[in-house]
Amino acid sequence: MTQEFWQEEFETLGKKDLQKMQVERLNKTIENACRSPFYSELYSKKNIKPGTIKAVSQITELPFTTKQDLRDHFPYGFLSLPKKELVRLHSSSGTTGNPTVIFHNRHDLNSWANLMARSLFCAGIRDTDVFQNICGYGLFTGGLGFQYGIETLGALSIPAGAGNSLRQIKLMRDYGTTAAHAIPSYLGRLYEVFEAEGLDPKKDTQLKTLVIGAEPHTDAQRKRIEEMYGVRAFNSFGLSEMNGPGVAFECTYQNGLHIWEDSYVVEIIDPETLQPVPDGEYGELVMTTLDREAMPLIRYRTRDITRIIPGECECGRTHRRIDRITGRSDDMFIIKGCNVFPMQIEGVLMKIPEVGSDYMITLETMNGADEMVVEVEVKSDWFRGDIKRLNSLSSTITRQIRDEVLAKPIVKLVEAGSIPKSEGKAIRVTDNRKNGLLN
Amino acid sequence: MAYEVSIFLENKIGHFERITSVLKEAQINIRSMAINDTANGWGILNLIVNDPIKAKDALSEKGVSVALRKVIALEMRDEAGGLDDLLMEVAKAEVNFDNAVGRVITEKQKAILILNVDDYESSIEKLQQQGLKIIDENTVYGVS
Repeated sequence: MTQEFWQEEFETLGKKDLQKMQVERLNKTIENACRSPFYSELYSKKNIKPGTIKAVSQITELPFTTKQDLRDHFPYGFLSLPKKELVRLHSSSGTTGNPTVIFHNRHDLNSWANLMARSLFCAGIRDTDVFQNICGYGLFTGGLGFQYGIETLGALSIPAGAGNSLRQIKLMRDYGTTAAHAIPSYLGRLYEVFEAEGLDPKKDTQLKTLVIGAEPHTDAQRKRIEEMYGVRAFNSFGLSEMNGPGVAFECTYQNGLHIWEDSYVVEIIDPETLQPVPDGEYGELVMTTLDREAMPLIRYRTRDITRIIPGECECGRTHRRIDRITGRSDDMFIIKGCNVFPMQIEGVLMKIPEVGSDYMITLETMNGADEMVVEVEVKSDWFRGDIKRLNSLSSTITRQIRDEVLAKPIVKLVEAGSIPKSEGKAIRVTDNRKNGLLN
Repeated sequence: MAYEVSIFLENKIGHFERITSVLKEAQINIRSMAINDTANGWGILNLIVNDPIKAKDALSEKGVSVALRKVIALEMRDEAGGLDDLLMEVAKAEVNFDNAVGRVITEKQKAILILNVDDYESSIEKLQQQGLKIIDENTVYGVS
């Protein structure tokens, strides 16, 4: 009989046993968290003591943790272990303000690699696969996160990195890539390069599985990718605060993403009232790490909007499923796989005296690729009528935004006074992408 | 010293017309014009007008990004080969220019080539050494 699960004993655990395990791990996590400056202060103030959780539902008695908390206690305020125990950090981009940084000890990395391997296995990927990771390595979690997962699974990994489409195609053809991971918007672009080269990925590659994530996408977009490449495409969900990829993954039934409940407590709340919503209703995803030692996070508000899909999955896994992400409860958007807050763009522009701080961001699909167009006003009193000076200003802004958010923008200089002033709640971002989820 | 009026202009419907209507209202006569498009959605509109200072003030008042730039005006013959002969001399003087606009003075069988250069002072010197005649501003503006 073929093996159906990566870790059957965890993945098919009955509801009662799973909850029992969550309670044990949650108590341990709280105990562990109390060793960090942030939680020890917060919990002693609120008189929260480790070992008092009897049922998972009691988690609602604990306070939330937000991204702002992480920034305010940068860099080490959330550490539960001495620095000597740490082996890696992943961090958000950004040159202004404090980035969001997550530290891992060896246990955390092993646990993450295992969850990632479990996720890939769940999507039908096996050790016989050749897996090309088309994704930026480095501080971004999609590179190394997948890399260790592929290796743990035992498939042959090709750490291709992001971009350079011709090279991606060559790697696929040279080594007979059967599975790959990329952001959905890139796969549209890559397909155009296949076409331009007179190649058809259905005939000219051995691809059978694509893993798509790091960017919200619709089911229609998934189906289009599946048709273009003649593969099955699986939705991957993760966020760096919860390690990165490998938090929730689609199984071969493709009907929602199993979120690994032995490693996370999952809640869906109403972002206004902060109260839990019943299964099936959309709300903000709140997560608690259950198997992280260096930097546990408890009731972390992800700001991602999704819902729990009621009912059981035919695959036999008992871990509940979340639906694909439908939006955000804040103004963050994702472009080219990078998380961008409009405030970051504003921060960059405010430091450039030649332009005003009013700006407009338009997300557009151009030639199959998603682009971020940033319109900025040139100040009238700086204008000298010199094209060279304006062009150099335009490239400076492009470079500085790119350094800040990692995604390269298309900067458009516009006439002074043509952008609405930032009084009150001016809308700064318009999403015209074919599959854009904002609005 | 002659000036041209340089205007930041987005490549959008109605934007050019907004400029010309301001100039019309201010009773500015446009003598010649050139648009340098950058293919980035914007460009620079360069105008030679009868009263550059008045034109600039009128546009500034409406919030338009506008600047006055010193230009060098050279006399050329209004006949076949006139521009070629003149450019030959400019090249000999080793003067490089960013943009140029020409205009005819019909009553005198003469024409003017108006250049925008990086280094105004040294360019004037080089052109004069080359024996070229620099035309006064009133002729450039067509008000003499």
